Amino acid sequence: MRIVASLTVAAALGAAALFGEVLAPYDPTATVSPPWTPPGPGLALGADGLGRDVVSRVLAGGRELTLVAAVAALTATAVGVAGGLWAGWRGRGGRALLGGADLLLALPMLLIAMVLAVALPGPVAVVAGTVCGGAPLTLRVIADATRQVRHTGYVEAAVARGERSGTVLVREVLPALAGVVGADVGLRCVLALQLAAALSLLGFGPAPPTPDWAAMLRENLPGVTLNPAALVAPAAALAALTLLVAALGHAAATRGRSR
Amino acid sequence: MSAGLLVDGLVVRSVTRAVVEEVSLQARPGDVIALVGPSGAGKTTIVRAVLGALPPGLRRTAGTVSWAGAAVPPGTAARHWRRCTVGVLGQDPAAALHPLLDVRATVAEGLEPARLGRPAAQARIRAALASTGLDPDVVLHRRPHQLSGGQAQRVALARAVVADPPLLLLDEPTSALDAATLEIVYGMLARRRGDGRSVTLVVSHDADLVARLADAVVPIGAPPPPRTSQPPRRPRPAGGTAVLRTQGMRLAQPAGATVLLDGAELAVHEGELVAVLGPSGAGKTTLLRAIAGLHPPEAGRLSLRGAPLPWPVTERGTAERRAVQLVGQHPGAAFNPAHRVGTALRRPLRLLRGITGAAASAETARLLALVGLDPALHRARPGALSGGQLQRVALARALAAAPGVLLADEVTAALDAATAAAILDLLDELRRRGLAVFAVTHDRHVAARADHVLHLADRELLPDRAEEDTRAHR
Repeated sequence: MRIVASLTVAAALGAAALFGEVLAPYDPTATVSPPWTPPGPGLALGADGLGRDVVSRVLAGGRELTLVAAVAALTATAVGVAGGLWAGWRGRGGRALLGGADLLLALPMLLIAMVLAVALPGPVAVVAGTVCGGAPLTLRVIADATRQVRHTGYVEAAVARGERSGTVLVREVLPALAGVVGADVGLRCVLALQLAAALSLLGFGPAPPTPDWAAMLRENLPGVTLNPAALVAPAAALAALTLLVAALGHAAATRGRSR
Repeated sequence: MSAGLLVDGLVVRSVTRAVVEEVSLQARPGDVIALVGPSGAGKTTIVRAVLGALPPGLRRTAGTVSWAGAAVPPGTAARHWRRCTVGVLGQDPAAALHPLLDVRATVAEGLEPARLGRPAAQARIRAALASTGLDPDVVLHRRPHQLSGGQAQRVALARAVVADPPLLLLDEPTSALDAATLEIVYGMLARRRGDGRSVTLVVSHDADLVARLADAVVPIGAPPPPRTSQPPRRPRPAGGTAVLRTQGMRLAQPAGATVLLDGAELAVHEGELVAVLGPSGAGKTTLLRAIAGLHPPEAGRLSLRGAPLPWPVTERGTAERRAVQLVGQHPGAAFNPAHRVGTALRRPLRLLRGITGAAASAETARLLALVGLDPALHRARPGALSGGQLQRVALARALAAAPGVLLADEVTAALDAATAAAILDLLDELRRRGLAVFAVTHDRHVAARADHVLHLADRELLPDRAEEDTRAHR
């Protein structure tokens, strides 16, 4: 019962972040009232500096952020898991790969992300930054877990019946590590969200007037004394999304362990 | 209220069914209580319920557990009670030892070193190891991967008894021990018995232990059906080329280090059962793993039906891999926790014998029935099966390949007497159809059915004197 309830809440929050635009009472880019109107009847969270409805902009501003973060997290985890399985399986042969991952970890992640953001379009920079900063961590964890699983009876049995290395990794090792991988996707998604928000805040995100939670933080900071809700609402939405992702990752990890 | 342990009307349920139904038992101080029953009856679950530490998915729905007159609450509330009062030995000792802790640190987990001084704690640790028949000087700084199955079990036992706990819970404490070590462990349990203070609850398939040490026996689950056993018939005497032969085999563990076995000559003929006995830690498991192609030997030749067989399993062809099948010592780690039993059985069928689809499902059901399991278990995941059930699934997986020679490492260790006898009958039956079995064991029932009994000790593999003598007098 608890699982069903939690999943319902998670699905509702996720759907709101992705498809909230259809619930928006106004066009999120249209001016509907004087600038910095405080919350009142008809405008539950007031208006921003251009007189646009904050509720509508919050509802519409999560889609790109969520999608980019999800794509970035899945890409980073996929790259990290593939590399980690290979490096852990090969033992000594995988050391070069682990060394490369360590080298990437030694570079400050924000620096890499800024350089990428200058050179590439915003969403691509987020994905590339998450892969550079997140995949090496995943790789290390998965490589170590793979090394431990390598000598269990079921992996030896698979090798003994003549499975190819790739098949052993995909059919035997990966399912046994499913919980770790699930938790890892959650962590990388949080990282990607932070990176996407940071780049968007610095102006590398979607161009105005497109609604975007991180961009709203920047746009609405000057009017914080006139309408604080315009700043608090997107911040709260970002926090809620991050918590949701972290909780899903945790759930995946515990499910994987109890099996 | 009575002192000691009192369990009244204990019921443990999973989401779908009752795993333990209405179990009651009483143990006065000084008692040794034995839980016996067929594998899968819920014996391990009872031990965990008494501890108040059930795995996720199981819940104690009725009944009480009380210690010294006070009720033991389930779950984390009993943590302090467990820390101070209970010593536990789990069923799969290899899994219960932390891979990064050496033996000294592992046994020290059972103590509260803050209360004792460091020298006193050291002395207790050495005494506990010695009481299980281990030489503290030899094993103290070894890590779990440097221990044999029997040594690991005794280290776990030492950890359970090091603090001399008032309540000791032992789950199959002797499943991996040879005859000489058994006596030492029996002696240790006998000293606890009748000391007027401590209670011991032991789950065991070892009829000897139960008969000699238990003050009361609590049967769990339906009694096993009366055995329709034939007296151990000898399959026809073998002749011709050996199915499996080794020459000049030298083994070291870890590879390249301590030599365990030098110059071993070994031949297993069609239909034969060759059993290897030997003290724990002598290299019995390593010998089997080397033949199975999972442990590189230092030297020696191996041949299968007269043709040379490469040592590493990865260099063997499909027919060769199919012909040599290993049933490992630790059924708990032998199955991928993510795969159902049916998947684990269908894969070798497909890969080694090319059987797929409906034929594979039928063959899976036949194999499970063959080893005395309910074919409906093919939908279960390994986590839901008991140690004895897993051991039989492991045997079924090896038989799925229809091998020429079966390498069996302690194949009856986690089984009750009736099931073990049924498995040995099954092996006899398969041997009549030509299967050769090479078994490492400490179980004299296995040795009694063997055509040849070898003894592995001091780097040598020789015919077992005692066994040959009894044969001669029969």
